[in-house]
Amino acid sequence: MTGPVGLGPAVGNHRTSDPLLPEEFGRSAPGRPWVGGAGDPGALVLSGPTGTDPEGLVDHLARWGALPGVDGSGVRALLRASGLDGRGGGGFPLARKVETARLAVGIPLVVINAGESEPASRKDRFLCATRPHLVLDGAALLATALGVDEVVVHLHRAPGSPVGRLEAAVAERLRHCADDPGWRLSAGPDRYVSGESSAVAGFVDGGEARPRFTTLPLAVAGPSGRPTVVSNAETVAHLAVLARTGPDGWAARGVPSSPGPRLVTLAGAVTHPGRVLELSGAATVGDALLADGVVAPPAAVLIGGFAGTWVSGEVAWQTPFTRDALHCVGAQPGCGLLGVLPHGACALTETARIVSYLAGESAGQCGTCVAGLPRLAHAWAGLARGDLRRRGVRRMSALGDTVEGSGACGHPDAVVRLIRSTLDTFEDDVVRHLAGRPCRHADHPPVLPVPDPACRDGRDDPGMWR
Amino acid sequence: MSVEVRIDPTLCRGHAICALFFSEGIELDQWGFGKVTVAVADTPRDVRRARRAASACPNGALVVRDRARRPAGDDARP
Repeated sequence: MTGPVGLGPAVGNHRTSDPLLPEEFGRSAPGRPWVGGAGDPGALVLSGPTGTDPEGLVDHLARWGALPGVDGSGVRALLRASGLDGRGGGGFPLARKVETARLAVGIPLVVINAGESEPASRKDRFLCATRPHLVLDGAALLATALGVDEVVVHLHRAPGSPVGRLEAAVAERLRHCADDPGWRLSAGPDRYVSGESSAVAGFVDGGEARPRFTTLPLAVAGPSGRPTVVSNAETVAHLAVLARTGPDGWAARGVPSSPGPRLVTLAGAVTHPGRVLELSGAATVGDALLADGVVAPPAAVLIGGFAGTWVSGEVAWQTPFTRDALHCVGAQPGCGLLGVLPHGACALTETARIVSYLAGESAGQCGTCVAGLPRLAHAWAGLARGDLRRRGVRRMSALGDTVEGSGACGHPDAVVRLIRSTLDTFEDDVVRHLAGRPCRHADHPPVLPVPDPACRDGRDDPGMWR
Repeated sequence: MSVEVRIDPTLCRGHAICALFFSEGIELDQWGFGKVTVAVADTPRDVRRARRAASACPNGALVVRDRARRPAGDDARP
């Protein structure tokens, strides 16, 4: 990520070769570990207003300036030079998605996924609600990169969904931004698996918001037959930022293997659950928790979302929130969730709530998911209660092996990953539970905001997925 | 001549007929849902058996695709 990149004069108004960002983009030196919230001096993506009100187009343009007049090849060069990776969970480089879609046959369909179906995550909602024009700027750039004149912004129909904020922002832009693509807002069902990219692509195409079995990548041929690029809202917000700061300055906010700043959401035993923080450089999970007033390592941290992994508090505290460092402790950034488990809470009970929620959120399409997940959830609930014995755990592991990799999407795999990481991280607790002794912490109030498994009987009803 | 063999898990209902016709390429889990073990069939016998298994599936869940006709960009998996 160093040295000038061949962007040409089209993006001439920013300083690509200057590793230091302009003063207005903050005081913290690039690459140094830094953590801050919305509006903190030093924030990049979260710079600007501190509150929860949406930033209007005038303020947005006053702060960031107009979008640089970049053509398609210029945006693609930005994507390549920055190394921007997807922030929705998969971490796939956006530049490769775009190149694949360009090689494929047909007019690409561009979808911005702002659904954020991860129940505890808030970062996409927060960006769309407070900085809608940053997301829309990025979406417009992505449309330019693919040479299309329409962008679909997909959200979920959920309480607190920023759909109204985006509608207002789009209305504002229709009057002022002549170069914008056409905007289409899409609001889909609020289900966990409905945020999966093939489910989003299928819903936008007029189908059900359920994951699809694909023999080809979406970027080659989506459900509509058109090459489909589904990109997370945070990802395109970064694109809007790095088009202004230059890819080098933006990438220097991260580490070489994880370029750019990252957004995380705090959940569980923190001072402000649901708070969104921006992390730069090799800032550790501990740095992020310190910024929210957590002064000592908690019992454990669930990293990357409900489909993520538990890491013990001591280890997580020192682990930088970067792809490589997290990989070393068996985790991945995922959707950027940091779920904090306090001392005195039972991790197995928390996991039981998550697993039973996830089992209920299956789209009900693939046999092993329908047959396997409820059994896994049942077995895990038994372990949490202290009713399961060693043989039961072995049977549960075998069930996990069967279920893993058998679905059309990664949903069953995620449940198995969570279960395995819990068994690994909380070995001592598992042994105690297996001994049948009542867990000392089992009556601790719930920590993580897991939605109640609602009635899922209508799972086969197509109406639920429209 | 080689073909790619995949099972669409959203269509598979566990009839298990595929495993009768193409036993060396498909194994069944405890509920009878198929899992592909030979993702690429490249002997004429395997190709024939994979095709027969695909046409026998009442749900059309077994996908057998010619490897020769790979569209551009298929190697990338976004």
